[in-house]
Amino acid sequence: MPEVEALLPRFRTAHTQVLGVSVDSIFCHANWGQSLDGVSFPLLADFHPKGAVAQSYGLYLEEAGITDRATVIIDAGGVVRHASSVTPDGRRNIDELAALCEEVDREHGSGLPAIPAPAGIGKAEALFVKSGCGFSRKVMLARENLHLQDRIPLKNVTDDPKAKEDLVRISGKDQAPCLIVDGKAMQDSDEIVRYLVGRATDVS
Amino acid sequence: MIAVGQKAPGFKLPDHLGREVSLDQFAGKRHVMLLFYPLDYTPT
Repeated sequence: MPEVEALLPRFRTAHTQVLGVSVDSIFCHANWGQSLDGVSFPLLADFHPKGAVAQSYGLYLEEAGITDRATVIIDAGGVVRHASSVTPDGRRNIDELAALCEEVDREHGSGLPAIPAPAGIGKAEALFVKSGCGFSRKVMLARENLHLQDRIPLKNVTDDPKAKEDLVRISGKDQAPCLIVDGKAMQDSDEIVRYLVGRATDVS
Repeated sequence: MIAVGQKAPGFKLPDHLGREVSLDQFAGKRHVMLLFYPLDYTPT
């Protein structure tokens, strides 16, 4: 997936949305993405009912309980323009696939709106988190999957008493996770992730 | 495997960043490349 992440600007220019799909859960996806230095395009969880979407594309390997390693390119009209498998053990050539998407885009002709570049996040003071907290983990994973480490300093209130003081001083309470952005405190983990995704990606 | 020229089956699935993503939302706006893969922690 890092090869795909690196070519996202090229796919964007070709009016193409990339989506990863496997039977893993969203939690597994988020941790895997982080381990790859961040995956910002959607990794979809075909988790329940297991493999149902892969099945509908004829790509679910029932006996093994996994999905084939296969690529399907769908044009903006909803028609399949390319479908190929490299088998589960094979490797894809992302450069070749990008060229195929560019061909599909050329044949489709003009008329598709340009995919807008992300707006970017506001002035972020800090993301306060605490250890052993699932909500904190969720926002930390989003920060890293969206490559925002340089934009949003992380402060752990469990390990660092000074961070806890800062959190209480700025937000008025010691609740974490808490994102301080544009001078405002955001404390709901879903709201924080929605904000980051909305500002740092072109799919929200 | 689905054949070229067929209508792509619709879907709506959750992603790792809290989004609900459907094929429909890109209709008439973007092409879509689906990268199916066996499991996380395997190569691209």
